[in-house]
Amino acid sequence: MNLVRAELLKIRTTNTWWIFGLIALPLWALTLLVNWASSSALLGMDPNEPGLDADQAEQTRVAAEAVNVATNLYTSGQFFGVLVVLLLAAIVVTNEFFHQTATTTFLVTPRREAVVLAKLAASVVLGLIFWLVTTLLNLALVPLILNALDVGVQLGEPAVWRAIGLNALAYALWAVLGVGAGVLIRSQIGATITLSTVYVIGFLGAATVFALLTPRIGDWFGNLQVLVPPLASQLMIAGTELPGNPPRWVGAVVLIGYALLAGGLGTWITKKRDIT
Amino acid sequence: MTAGSEEIVVSHLTKHYKKLRAVDNLSFTVHSGRVTGFLGPNGAGKTTTLRMMLGLVQPTAGTATFGGVRYADLDRPIRHVGAVLEASSAHKGRSGINHLRVICSAAGLPRQAADEALARVGLTPAAKRKFKGYSLGMKQRLGIAAALLGDPRVLILDEPANGLDPEGIRWMRDLLKALAAEGRTVLVSSHLLGEMQQLADDVVIIAAGQLIRQGPVDEVLGSMTGLSQVRVRTPQPAELAAALSEQQATVAALPDGALTVTGLDAAQVGHAAFKAGVELHELTGERADLEQVFLQLTAGKAGIR
Ligand SMILES: Nc1ncnc2c1ncn2[C@@H]1O[C@H](COP(=O)(O)OP(=O)(O)OP(=O)(O)O)[C@@H](O)[C@H]1O
Ligand SMILES: [Mg+2]
Repeated sequence: MNLVRAELLKIRTTNTWWIFGLIALPLWALTLLVNWASSSALLGMDPNEPGLDADQAEQTRVAAEAVNVATNLYTSGQFFGVLVVLLLAAIVVTNEFFHQTATTTFLVTPRREAVVLAKLAASVVLGLIFWLVTTLLNLALVPLILNALDVGVQLGEPAVWRAIGLNALAYALWAVLGVGAGVLIRSQIGATITLSTVYVIGFLGAATVFALLTPRIGDWFGNLQVLVPPLASQLMIAGTELPGNPPRWVGAVVLIGYALLAGGLGTWITKKRDIT
Repeated sequence: MTAGSEEIVVSHLTKHYKKLRAVDNLSFTVHSGRVTGFLGPNGAGKTTTLRMMLGLVQPTAGTATFGGVRYADLDRPIRHVGAVLEASSAHKGRSGINHLRVICSAAGLPRQAADEALARVGLTPAAKRKFKGYSLGMKQRLGIAAALLGDPRVLILDEPANGLDPEGIRWMRDLLKALAAEGRTVLVSSHLLGEMQQLADDVVIIAAGQLIRQGPVDEVLGSMTGLSQVRVRTPQPAELAAALSEQQATVAALPDGALTVTGLDAAQVGHAAFKAGVELHELTGERADLEQVFLQLTAGKAGIR
């Protein structure tokens, strides 16, 4: 417990967290606007429009259900929010090497796995704070948007609350991924650049590749896209089961799998590494 | 654990990096109540040894114990052992006091310990300033404050005088001597041999990862009689040189007209002069200093590997 408090104190006594918070805020606002626009477009779309095949028509119909429009809006900001949490969590680790504080940290606590666990816990707390802030903002603003779209607030729907809850899990898991990544890529700048590039390019690239190849290779291939972490976390927070997609729990399982792998590998490497 | 038992025992410590034996089967003991100087040329393996002792670098073989316990097995280790190491620093954007508070928090020490330690190294005026605004000497002092936080019985310092001004070096010397006088165990690595001669009670000299010599400073200096010299001044240098050469002594002329004699002590030189009827104006025995002994002991083994 002392160690978690110390890690939180480390975060609080530097500027990084609020600088990242300031970056996250406009990105959240941007995604909310984009989601508003796309919801509005979706609601205006006719599923029976010619040119859509049966699957696509079904997907459009389900996505346009009020509850799914609402969950999508209430979880606005996840795409960039978890990226910011990922980077912050990585920096929690890379800071120790960048500023050469690892020596002191491990002198105080030679049981290195305890240090990694404390960093995981502190990063998860940080991730949940980001989740809480964006969720409160969404809860304040989204009802206005939903009214404007003539959809109704939808806050009586359990599916909405479940999505918000799973969104919290996503933020926590991305924090764990960040700590693991920070151990693997010790360089501060290297970790920041690599993670944001891989996250954004990986997301766009994977989405494109799956969109192009799935019609040729088959639906089973399309289901593999859940293995791409950002796609997995988006699947997790879908309101209801979406046709043509793996079930939501698969997204959670995939992300938890990556988090366990990253956390475990990070701990193992930290234990073995010489601190010089 | 009682005060007297916090001896450091290093036993067969070894570290291989690829083909390089950075530390090679090194064993020595550091006693409590004394300042021990840890000396060796650049690349001798001092830093590697200290880091292995503190569980930061995994030894290839061997152990180091503090009062019989390995560092990693100590309960709340910074209450037993305080360390100031090279390549150890603080977050540039964090204030000095917060740096210490983080350590207190992780080690379960009370918050005031941070203020006290800062006061002890004279950094209170800069407590709230960010670390990146600290001068080299202030950084070094903050490191010492961190090492003192847990009021440890053992102190380990790697080149602590780096970046300190003469006043700071004197302060450090007094501090370390006072800590040793309280019965603590103090191990300091340094290249400042003049400083070490004033500070250390014992020395451990290593080169190329191996132990060269360990023992009390006086003993180590005394063992090198071949290096002690006698300075002598006479109006008849030629006669004296001839008389001394008969006794297998080496005589060298100094630019100021004096002679230095190696291989005899002052009494022997005086006796030889008396027998030869040579008049003497000055006769001073000069014992070898730590620098000469160090250079002699590590000759041929020095050098970057
Ligand atoms: N991480 C490492 N990888 C490879 N070689 C290393 C590593 N760390 C140290 N060495 C080598 O081990 C040897 C001992 O280094 P060390 O830093 O312990 O010397 P030192 O006695 O502290 O020297 P100095 O007086 O210059 O500080 C050197 O030859 C160094 O190059
Ligand atoms: Mg060194």
